[in-house]
Amino acid sequence: MSEELYIDYFSILGLPEDCKTGDVKKNYKKLMKDLLLEIHNISSLTPAELDNYLLKMAMLNAGFYILRDDGRRSNYISHRKKVIELEKKWCEVAEQNPDSQEADRLRREYDRALQDFLTKYMEELVLEAGRDRECVETSNWDPFHERHASRVLRHYRQKLYSQIHERLPYYDVSKPEIDWNERRNFVAKIVKGEYPEYE
Amino acid sequence: MSRKTETKKLVPQETIDIAIAKAVADGDIVNFRFLFLPYSPLREDSTEDINTIKYSYLLPSEEEENSPKFKSALELVKRPDIREHINRQLHKKGPPQLPSELILMLADNAVSQGKYTSASQAYELLRIRIKIQELFFQQGDEELAKGNISNAVRAYRIASELEYDYGAFPEPLPAVPKYQEHALILHGEYKEKWEECIGYLPIQKFLTESFNYLFLRPEHANRILEKSIEIQTEFLVELIHQIDPNWSKFADNVSKTVPILQELYQEIKSRRERIAQGSLWEDEWVEGLDTEKFLEIPKILLGRKISPEEWWAYLKEIAYLHPASPLFLARQMISKEKEIILPRYNPENPVAIALSLPPLPQPI
Repeated sequence: MSEELYIDYFSILGLPEDCKTGDVKKNYKKLMKDLLLEIHNISSLTPAELDNYLLKMAMLNAGFYILRDDGRRSNYISHRKKVIELEKKWCEVAEQNPDSQEADRLRREYDRALQDFLTKYMEELVLEAGRDRECVETSNWDPFHERHASRVLRHYRQKLYSQIHERLPYYDVSKPEIDWNERRNFVAKIVKGEYPEYE
Repeated sequence: MSRKTETKKLVPQETIDIAIAKAVADGDIVNFRFLFLPYSPLREDSTEDINTIKYSYLLPSEEEENSPKFKSALELVKRPDIREHINRQLHKKGPPQLPSELILMLADNAVSQGKYTSASQAYELLRIRIKIQELFFQQGDEELAKGNISNAVRAYRIASELEYDYGAFPEPLPAVPKYQEHALILHGEYKEKWEECIGYLPIQKFLTESFNYLFLRPEHANRILEKSIEIQTEFLVELIHQIDPNWSKFADNVSKTVPILQELYQEIKSRRERIAQGSLWEDEWVEGLDTEKFLEIPKILLGRKISPEEWWAYLKEIAYLHPASPLFLARQMISKEKEIILPRYNPENPVAIALSLPPLPQPI
């Protein structure tokens, strides 16, 4: 099971889980400085690059904001562990008995926990971090960034949710068996106008 | 003593089969999901009756029943394992588990009929939407490498229109083009200098603006922006033609505005000269301009008069009719309170030339 889709602020800041607050600050400042230099060196940003850089800045701010505070850090670690555990538990039960009530209960519980986790650590606290004095000073984050970041963060949060779902047991549809060679042929036929009913 | 008898309506298997096969053949994910809901007329315990006139849209016409699309959908619906799965779900209390084989066929039919929002919902349910989208982009790149621009544009368009709007509130939905809204954003700022107008931007900047405006996500625009300027130009021209088959109508309307534009620019020129001579205050340069005459320009561009006669109202309507047109338009003040929308682009812009847009009067 890959855990990287559950936002890992330690790896975003390049730190181990037992790092000291001083290291958090040091790494954050360095990474943010590098990022701002990188942005500064680009003459004009395309909308895709703009979204990408905004997301990177927001994640660094959030990483610093969450990990530098002991309370926020321990909440984040336990919340993340809980979601990972729930995924594991649900997958195990669903594999043995997919139609059981227990599997359905665990799925609902996991889904709620995942949505809460992503909303809190991929949206709420990220925006909150943007209003933190130290983050504002280091990243020059302003209301303009926040306005655009809300849209970018929401999109990214839901994208993560959907990517996580790709590896989970199927429940609302039966498990599809996809022949990717057949899919490639279908796509080629549609594009070339060879699909019989292409209109 | 009266005896209470429990009446359960009986839905014939054939009706279930053809109703589901029709939704699959039509590529209609909304009807398909509806057929499995607790109040579906296909359920025996539902009070809804499939034979009433309000549900006639769920059943195929005679002509539809003979179509190859319907026949192949019906064949799949009748496959014993799938039929058993369907019946199990129709008798189940609680959320149904939809049969993936049928959803895949439905999605393919939806793509082939250009029903991209339906297709993207079906692929999303199967959790393969992003991979299918990538396959279309890859096919588009292959077609580009072979020099087949028309196929490449078709592939890119399908890929882009299979996009999901994950930022939609309260839940994600298929993304749809919103040219009327985006055109307003494109012209949100009044350009004081001609060279700042979209149609006068250097070609690479113009192409970047164009692709970001016409595609649903900046990532999609980025894919084509990585190619050479020549390919991008050819691609944009073909994209505009595919999005708007009536583009020539817009080009004709632009031609009709040329004489009035000439008059307007002549008027501006003479007023500038008067300002230079000191006989007219700069902030009064629009005083006495024949606004009625120049208000004809947006009407000609759109082909009719609308109310309110505001630049943004015309821009929205024109963008709806001809999605790419805002790339060749600009805002112009004609009085202290009145602005109009008019055609403005560099006559040397290769995209404008390839799209048969007429040469316009030049900046003065």
